[in-house]
Amino acid sequence: MNTDIILEAKKLTKQFGALVAVDDVSIQVRRNSLHAIIGPNGAGKTTFFNLLSGNLEPTSGHVIFKGRDITHQPVHRTIHFGMGRSFQITNIFPSLTVFENVRLAAQALGGDNFKFWQAASHFKKYEDRTWQVIEKVGLKERAYTPARTLPHGDQRKLELGMILAPDPEVLLLDEPTAGMASEQVPELIALIQDIQKAGDKTVMLVEHNMNVVMSVSDAITVMHQGKVLAEGTPSQIAANKEVQTAYLGGLYELNV
Amino acid sequence: MTQTTHSRLPGFFTKNRTALITLLVLVLLPFIVGLFDGASPATVFVNGSGQSKFIQGLAIEIFILALYALSFDVIFGITGMLSFGHSMFYAVGAYLTGIALKSFQLDLLPTFGLVMLAAVVQALLFGIVLPRVKGITFALVTLGMASVFHIVVMSSEAGPYTGADVGLQGMVVPAFISPANERLRFYFAALIILVLVYLLYKRFITSPTGRVCIAIRENEGRARMLGYNTFTFKLTALMLSSFTAALAGFMHALYQPIVSPNVASMGFTVTALLIVLIGGVGTLEGALVGALVYRLLDFGLRRYIGESASFINGAIYVAFVLFVPYGIVGTWRMKSLQIKQGWERLTGMLVKSAK
Repeated sequence: MNTDIILEAKKLTKQFGALVAVDDVSIQVRRNSLHAIIGPNGAGKTTFFNLLSGNLEPTSGHVIFKGRDITHQPVHRTIHFGMGRSFQITNIFPSLTVFENVRLAAQALGGDNFKFWQAASHFKKYEDRTWQVIEKVGLKERAYTPARTLPHGDQRKLELGMILAPDPEVLLLDEPTAGMASEQVPELIALIQDIQKAGDKTVMLVEHNMNVVMSVSDAITVMHQGKVLAEGTPSQIAANKEVQTAYLGGLYELNV
Repeated sequence: MTQTTHSRLPGFFTKNRTALITLLVLVLLPFIVGLFDGASPATVFVNGSGQSKFIQGLAIEIFILALYALSFDVIFGITGMLSFGHSMFYAVGAYLTGIALKSFQLDLLPTFGLVMLAAVVQALLFGIVLPRVKGITFALVTLGMASVFHIVVMSSEAGPYTGADVGLQGMVVPAFISPANERLRFYFAALIILVLVYLLYKRFITSPTGRVCIAIRENEGRARMLGYNTFTFKLTALMLSSFTAALAGFMHALYQPIVSPNVASMGFTVTALLIVLIGGVGTLEGALVGALVYRLLDFGLRRYIGESASFINGAIYVAFVLFVPYGIVGTWRMKSLQIKQGWERLTGMLVKSAK
């Protein structure tokens, strides 16, 4: 097996009753790459992510992460193996502050979770890490703001911070720019690229903005009706006739 | 979260002024009441009967109630689990204490050990269902378990031990802590226990463990996605709650010293819920303030109004939910008394039901 492959899906299938949401999908994600999953709505991208992260158990198939079979691991275990996952819908602790949201993420894997006789502020390493991450995602001025009062764009940044805090090797980002004002998108994408390049991280990305996908991805997997339609580099995908008719609708102009 | 610790000692006093003054008042309370009654501190000290002894008794009941309310707040207000079987946590402690003292003539210490052991067992019992049921289902399952306990306690088969529907009576409380002859000692013991438990709870909610419990209340799915096995945290909160409630039940049995089956009923769970709602959900201090208000209201209304007390009582709680939704402590902290919104809610309801 190629050691360069950090995350691998082997013949993953997920069935909900009669509906086959993910149908026999196999992909390989290379270490330190930015791998995008694209496809029309209902293609099974989010379900596929849920299978990888352990939010859902597949009907059949396997997930191999760093050479280990994690198919049947519950979601809170996959985080411990070094996987971080964000959601399409903003998923934070609404009435806690930005700082506390990130601090909880930083504390999670440190092994001090049951020291109920000490104040959380006693554990400086998590607080230091929290400040580091908050600064990285640009929310330092908002540290003590309750998360629910943040504008949507900042909430997306907060989510990214919560995934970054435990320093995962692989980030699964499910439409990180969803609902963001278009002028804010480049900033967040630049941040994601920066995190991936500077931190030697592997990023998997579900994204609808084709310009973004084409410009930042190292590899693209196109999903359609639960199956893999095509795989390749951005230029290969853009040139793929099948993809154009199924998804790009022939309207996408290659402008990279 | 604030990282500032200036000069430690004066800072400690200004930061905890309210708590320290309250504590001072509570320490002096028996003697002050005695003075008003014309009894010298020396008389109070040797447990002479009079107003002071009566007030001490009322205070002890409030302390025990406050412990019970704290134990409910940690699972409901902090961790976000609604248990309708909470009275069982208390009743097990009370009944076990009574039975151990009366039927088995155990000493106080082994009895206490037994109660704490039972606390572990009942928390595990509630914990078994935790991974499977959430929200209202958890409430109903816990209600079911507590009801079984209530029925067992009331049954004629258990009667020789529990006293069935009459209640458990005739236990012998060790003389050194007898609530009749050593009330002042009992008062201070109860006060010290309450202060220690309160401090433990304060620390718990600022600790890494407690912060995760709050996160679970906020968004359990997200907490799991951060890598927390939320089940173990919920079980921890249940354990802490069970220990505290059983301790309160233990003190209840010693103080009364009878155990009525009422403490095992659904009604007593509602008492915990009401206290926490009055005081402020998830604030801890709310449980203390709520217990005081609840007990005094109940006492005052019963004394001066009599039978229709429960009606007025009920009306007061409805008014609370409408106008003071964050409870006394919550409203105080947020400075948000919702008189206007309360009327809007009330008229909104009336208009809806008129349609």
